[in-house]
Amino acid sequence: MTSFIPTGHFSPYRVSDDLREDRIGPAVHVPAPGEADREQLLLTKLGPRGWGRLHHFRHYYQPGWGERHGRQLSPRALEGFFRFLAAAKFPAGKVPSIFLTDSGGLELAWEDADGKAVQVEFTSQGAEFYVAAKETEGQAPVEALAQLAAQLAV
Amino acid sequence: MPVGPQEDIARAICTDKWDGERLSPSLFVGEGTSVSRLALIPLADHWDLFRRYVEQPPERRLEMIGEINVGRLQELGRNYATPIELTVEPKPEDWNPAHAEIPQRITRGLANKILPELKLHRPPPN
Repeated sequence: MTSFIPTGHFSPYRVSDDLREDRIGPAVHVPAPGEADREQLLLTKLGPRGWGRLHHFRHYYQPGWGERHGRQLSPRALEGFFRFLAAAKFPAGKVPSIFLTDSGGLELAWEDADGKAVQVEFTSQGAEFYVAAKETEGQAPVEALAQLAAQLAV
Repeated sequence: MPVGPQEDIARAICTDKWDGERLSPSLFVGEGTSVSRLALIPLADHWDLFRRYVEQPPERRLEMIGEINVGRLQELGRNYATPIELTVEPKPEDWNPAHAEIPQRITRGLANKILPELKLHRPPPN
């Protein structure tokens, strides 16, 4: 005699209503598609310190942080930051610093091969940059961030 | 009436603007930079004052206090490639009667000249 294990949709377990997937609230972090690649990019270019700092800025700094008027990290600034980071090349041995600005932007700061400051601030409109070696400041729209990265590369 | 050039001012430096290696120029970039007058409240008393007010969220820690003389700040503004007359205007607040602001818009380039002039104070040991 041959026996079969019952198949079909029967499940011995029942998930209570509060644990059903459609009940997961915003407090539960569900990684966005491609987020693993972005985290890897962060670790590669900014190291564990940069990775940890961005994690803090994204998850702990709510509107009104700091002296009560800090803005939450802008999703568009974050998007621009990753676009730039993917194309950026930093001098060997120089790991850029990442900062959160009061207006909800992200700022990257490092030094060129001659030790002069290079800075890019990502905002919801694009980026503002500063190159100390040339004493120049400028702006770039989101679409031009990969070009800006190439321009600032060593 | 603007703060006189003989006075020294302090700026709180928290973890979002200091990563243990570099200072963020955005500490001074833009308009309405908040500072505090050391002539009204001594530096030693600023640690508790700042901690109570600026450590929001708790992950944001007060790491250092940056100090600069008002006259020196104004000199940096006047000597910059695009000269600017910087002032420090008293703007007392409930949490800090020594609060003041730099109302002018400070560019990133000028902020990069100000940062190296800051005298950095670390928290006193407990």
